[in-house]
Amino acid sequence: MSIIIISSDSKKIEEDIAEKVAAVMDYNRLGPKLLTDVAANYQIDPVKLREALETTPSVFKNMPSKNWRHYLSCIEAEVFDRLLKDNIVCWGLPAHLFVTGISHVMKVRLLASGQRIGKIAEQKGITVDRAEKLIADELRQRKKWSLAAYNLDETDPSQYDLVINLDQIDPTEAAITITNAIEYRKFQPMTYSIKCLSNLALAARVNARLLESMVNIKVQARDNSVVVVTKASNRQKRKKIAAIKELAGDIEGVSYVEVHVKKNILEDAAENPY
Amino acid sequence: MSKSLEVLLLDDEPIVGRRLKPALDKIGCHVEIFENPIEAVARIDEKEFDIVVTDIRMEKMNGMQVFEHVKKKWPRTKVIIITGYAKMELAREAMEKGIFDFIAKPFRPDDLRQIIARAAQALGTPIDLTLIKD
Repeated sequence: MSIIIISSDSKKIEEDIAEKVAAVMDYNRLGPKLLTDVAANYQIDPVKLREALETTPSVFKNMPSKNWRHYLSCIEAEVFDRLLKDNIVCWGLPAHLFVTGISHVMKVRLLASGQRIGKIAEQKGITVDRAEKLIADELRQRKKWSLAAYNLDETDPSQYDLVINLDQIDPTEAAITITNAIEYRKFQPMTYSIKCLSNLALAARVNARLLESMVNIKVQARDNSVVVVTKASNRQKRKKIAAIKELAGDIEGVSYVEVHVKKNILEDAAENPY
Repeated sequence: MSKSLEVLLLDDEPIVGRRLKPALDKIGCHVEIFENPIEAVARIDEKEFDIVVTDIRMEKMNGMQVFEHVKKKWPRTKVIIITGYAKMELAREAMEKGIFDFIAKPFRPDDLRQIIARAAQALGTPIDLTLIKD
């Protein structure tokens, strides 16, 4: 009845182990194929979604921050929607960064830099030193991306419940270790953790809806109530509150919306230059 | 139902017991309320309850200590933790030690009724929540 989220510096390894674990546990799979559903449900180009998972916003890459945040929020909303169904192995998505504080979610990090160095050197016909540098660059990029997107360093082992070094542990053994660990009672769902997950799911749905047309949005949910924190100039304040209440109030499961507006000093200054 | 479910409810905030007792009475539970954990533990020593519902943060003795006491004395009893200071680490610790369920305050009385119903089911004395007495 639990959820396993697997992440690694190698997509191939992530998928291999996730498939092994899902097969042994008879759990449902939640992988990168989900992006096709996100693209369809939110009418977003799937290429843009994949790009958002790889790069940080940049006007040069045609990925403005506003769109980037919105794309990520749509992925989050869809992932949470699936995680509510339980008994899931999730990989290939940044769920390990945004599914936080849920006791029945076990997060696993697989390390495999050592074996990847040899493979990359062989595949690309480059020296081991060069392959090491490529992997170090990749990790730096992932760290940069995860900090920009979720203010968490995905390469930091302390973010995970279980870290397995595949340079030392055979993949089959790793899968067995994961399936044994998820049996610990501490990873079993309870009323509190289920409630936390459904609150995060509701907040993610509202966030995705609001970020479609707005920026500077933070959403928290508890039961059916939602609190939205945003920024607006004095002139825009009332209009923005009304718009948020209307959009969020339309989301299934929302019965109350509270909006807190912080001053947007830059907009205020622009509107009242003297 | 042949026998009412014996429930001990421990919370140092009097309002919690006052609010929850009637809600549990409605599903046929026989509820004893305590605000002092020392007195609750003394009562637990005297009587085997089916279910103990306890707060975590209390003076003199915390909810986990109450749980350890219940577990030693009456292994069959199901313990449910209610707390206003819920955190993932605490929830995991409580589950690992063997509590039946964990719920964050504030919650609706019906949320606790649902948990009690599951505990009753696990004890082999199911209760029917559709038959709530007015």
